[in-house]
Amino acid sequence: MIDLDRYPREITLRNGASLVFRPMVRDDVDRLWVFFQQIPPQDKMFFRQDVSRREVVQHWADTLDYGLVLPILALEGGRVVGDATLHRQRTGWKQRVGVVRVQIAPHCRHIGLGTAMVRELRHLGEKSALHYLMAEVIEEQSAAVRAFEKMGFVRAATYRNFVNDPRGGLHNLIVLLYRMSSPDDLDV
Amino acid sequence: MAGTDYHCPHCGAELRGGVRGGSRPGGTPGCPYDGLAYAALRAGHDAIYFGPWRRIDAPPTEIRRGYNRIGRHLDAIGGELAGHDLPAAVRDLDAALAALRAADPREEFRDTLRFMDNALSYAHRAIDDLLHEKGLPPHQPMDFSEWYDVVEVPFRDEW
Repeated sequence: MIDLDRYPREITLRNGASLVFRPMVRDDVDRLWVFFQQIPPQDKMFFRQDVSRREVVQHWADTLDYGLVLPILALEGGRVVGDATLHRQRTGWKQRVGVVRVQIAPHCRHIGLGTAMVRELRHLGEKSALHYLMAEVIEEQSAAVRAFEKMGFVRAATYRNFVNDPRGGLHNLIVLLYRMSSPDDLDV
Repeated sequence: MAGTDYHCPHCGAELRGGVRGGSRPGGTPGCPYDGLAYAALRAGHDAIYFGPWRRIDAPPTEIRRGYNRIGRHLDAIGGELAGHDLPAAVRDLDAALAALRAADPREEFRDTLRFMDNALSYAHRAIDDLLHEKGLPPHQPMDFSEWYDVVEVPFRDEW
């Protein structure tokens, strides 16, 4: 169980902007939906669900379970400007692998917010008794790849022409892994 | 005083003499790290980061000096981390120590500088972890470059 007492957390970015990190709650549906509306189509096409539909976000809110998906929002005033999620499984062969996803509002890119959110996910992962964090990034998202690598994620695999966009174009998928510090490391 | 080490009496940072405008022995004015969180760690990092051992023509004595300073810097970070529950930062520190152990400045070992660079990079990340816990932005050595004899500006691109 992740200790969420650290939230809300105030985070200052390099440009002096002050944001708040906190887990998503049910009342965040509209502000999160508005956030996804700002995401450029070329970024949104790689989402697993159609986040332009409010009911998709509503469903997330209705089924919030921090033990499975922990969404951390970055808020600037009342607006969501970043969304970082830690996905886990309670059982099965991947229960020690956490999957991380980060999305940043266009006007908040290149000021260190993505890096701060990856750093936050890394902290949460370390506290979750996970062995690995895994991120999947399209190769064209080079800034995201750099942010993950800066935080210690390493490229584990590149799948050539592996995923397609809505127009049928193929893209390389990069899988990045971050190995957690755990007592089990000593035995591996 | 060029080439002489001393400590800023205000932030405790080990600074190298001869820098432009940095703190001076016995005087607090002008210390660029004044009032910053983890000032000593940040100043300690930058004194190494901008140190002469990284110059292309650095003599072996400067490389050994840089190596020893990194070791002391990692000790200082370890001391600070002892008071926090930050496993990710501890992991970074361990990686820094491993990198430093892989370097051997006494030998003509071409990877020594790379390992030292790696150690300093992991140390930087541990400092940034500490700053993040305070809700502060990462440390940017280039913000302090004017206090040092910097000849290169590394590429920077943040997500």
